[in-house]
Amino acid sequence: MGLARYTLYRLLQAIPVLLGITIITFVLANLAPGDPVQLMLAGQEVDEELVEAIEQQYGLDRPLHERYVTYMAGVLEGDLGYSIHWGQPVTELILGRVGPTLLLVLSAYAFAIATAIPLGIIAATRRNEPTDHVSRIVALFGVSTPSFWIGIMLILLFAVQLGWLPSTGLVYPWRGPDAYAWIDTWPELLYQTARHLLLPMIALGTLQMATLMRVERTQMIESLHGEYVTLARAYGVPERTILRKHAFQNAQLPIITIIGLNLSTALSGAVLIEYVFNINGMGRLFIEAIQALDYQLIMGITIVFGTIFVVGVIVTDLSYAYIDPRVTYGEEE
Amino acid sequence: MTDPLLRVENLKTQFFTDAGTVRAVDGISFEVREGEIVGLVGESGAGKSVASMSLLRLIEDPGEIVAGEITYKGETIFGLEEGPDGELREREDMLSNEEIRTQIRGNEIAVIFQDPMESLNPVFTIGGQLREFIELNRDLPKDAAKEEAIRMLREVGIPDPEQRYGEYPHQFSGGMRQRVLIAMALACEPSLIIADEPTTALDVTVEGQILELVDELQDKYDTSFLWVTHDMGVVAEICDRVNVMYLGEIVEQAPVDELFHDTKHPYTTALLNSMPRPDRTVGELEPIEGVMPEAINPPSGCRFHPRCPEAREVCQRVHPDAREVAHADGHPHRAACLKHDVFDAGYDESPPLETATQETAGVPAGGRSTGGPGGEDGATDLKDSVIEDGGEPTDGTRSDDRGETHE
Ligand code: SF4
Repeated sequence: MGLARYTLYRLLQAIPVLLGITIITFVLANLAPGDPVQLMLAGQEVDEELVEAIEQQYGLDRPLHERYVTYMAGVLEGDLGYSIHWGQPVTELILGRVGPTLLLVLSAYAFAIATAIPLGIIAATRRNEPTDHVSRIVALFGVSTPSFWIGIMLILLFAVQLGWLPSTGLVYPWRGPDAYAWIDTWPELLYQTARHLLLPMIALGTLQMATLMRVERTQMIESLHGEYVTLARAYGVPERTILRKHAFQNAQLPIITIIGLNLSTALSGAVLIEYVFNINGMGRLFIEAIQALDYQLIMGITIVFGTIFVVGVIVTDLSYAYIDPRVTYGEEE
Repeated sequence: MTDPLLRVENLKTQFFTDAGTVRAVDGISFEVREGEIVGLVGESGAGKSVASMSLLRLIEDPGEIVAGEITYKGETIFGLEEGPDGELREREDMLSNEEIRTQIRGNEIAVIFQDPMESLNPVFTIGGQLREFIELNRDLPKDAAKEEAIRMLREVGIPDPEQRYGEYPHQFSGGMRQRVLIAMALACEPSLIIADEPTTALDVTVEGQILELVDELQDKYDTSFLWVTHDMGVVAEICDRVNVMYLGEIVEQAPVDELFHDTKHPYTTALLNSMPRPDRTVGELEPIEGVMPEAINPPSGCRFHPRCPEAREVCQRVHPDAREVAHADGHPHRAACLKHDVFDAGYDESPPLETATQETAGVPAGGRSTGGPGGEDGATDLKDSVIEDGGEPTDGTRSDDRGETHE
């Protein structure tokens, strides 16, 4: 019961946050320099009447707060407005692009977690030995190198020089093999998905891996120095079990937090990576929307990103509460 | 006489730090017999915990047991011998790490730590942790181990053990957690339990309850205890024999009554005088002067001499080992103090050293309390001042006074 109530409580808490995100985005988008109507008519002769007609059609002539209310009413129904530039509903545009972004971000996380946790543990158990120093250098590199640069270097090396892996686009498994003329079977489809995903995944995941690895190392060291570890040792628990069970479980709690909070860096990283690797995801759409000053689209994407982030944080909190018995559920106590 | 359960001989454990070698345990010898509760007493930093952890070979880097012998039930927990190349090496019959883990830790020697909150893993249930240790140390299947865990929880006085089995450490009070640790230790059916300051984190009432519980259970299970504490009050209540540690050494060793009533070492006297007792008001408490020096660079001669009210010049030069100075209840009474005749170091002829405690009674003075090793200059100064005073052996009278207060 506690956990269920806590979940509800956290979900309710998200509402003002999401409202805040929409208000700020809305105001900023509308205050930004550059007139979308002018941009639409670029190259054409400016016709005052036409401008007014367009402004009326899109409701641009009404006061800001009124427009916001109308907009939010639409958002609640899943209507994020209409993209002037693409001539398509924003919701439709985003839905078409959200898959690749999620695939990219989730695989980057999977890569980061799968590498960071074992490496962090190894570094913690071989403290101040060569392994530890190497991992420190890798981490430093990962944290201080921009992901797009890593992406470009990976392309230059593995795609251009060696020609092992493709450098652009993704293959989407959910479309099925029939969607690709050059792919016949499912295994082949998955193989191609992996091949295309590998470089952007590493490029985006390296920063996450580096951060997680250092946190994992610190946490494991702390945990291994805990008195409960000494106690387990004193009762003859094998070192393997201590590492895998007694020390490990405690060390993972902060990791979960970091994963949740880093969702924002992962999403912003995805914007650049999609651009570098020519992936038609939300990030690329976002950059194109900015270039076109397509406010409706910019707002739509921002709201979706914001929602993903807020949901991610809530999921983090909930899993924390689920794993750590000490977390009390907010207002109950 | 039968062999003792545990015999420690000339144990030395050192830590090799950047600042130098810390001689945390510096040649201690003691025994624990079956069914005995043996105290290991001293201020924090005296090396008690390092000594007790050495018994399980649980000394972590940069620490290392460098010398001595630990024998438990005839098995060698630690022992060195001289190899053919003249270098010391581990003895053949010394238990391997794996043997220590499976044959000694938990099932033969169990531990109880000071802080039950820290030593219980916060993310596992009390029952889960108990069960794991029982399974491991008694080779019981899961179900039987669980039953045993619940039985032990009941045994140590935890109400509603079935229910509490599934709860987490943070849901228990400090006293209840300590009971859990006691249950944990006893459940593994060891012959010896090392209790490292197990009641220090508790308030006095709870401490009393825990001591009573241990007394009761000790009678029932006939387990031996090595009781590590800084608290002479606890020692008086629970121990059969006592070892007093100062700066890595055992300075006095005696049966508990003997230690209290016929104290042979000035440090023990000081410890006793600093202890709150019903027959004294707080104002009469005499805190031990000065702080204990670092074990990295211990004072020359007798390590207690910078703080000792009975120190004489010879104490700076001659390092006393613990020697038998009396015999009581079939046990030797050992003390490492030059004032006893067995040392024959010329203590009686030696001029007294002036220490902080020698100032006029009742006014504690700072002064030389933190005095490091050597102190040649200091020594000369002192001699001068003693001569100016007419060489009156003031400290002698003081110590007589002390004798009366706790008699
Ligand atoms: S040897 Fe000297 S300094 Fe040491 S305890 Fe005895 S009297 Fe004090």
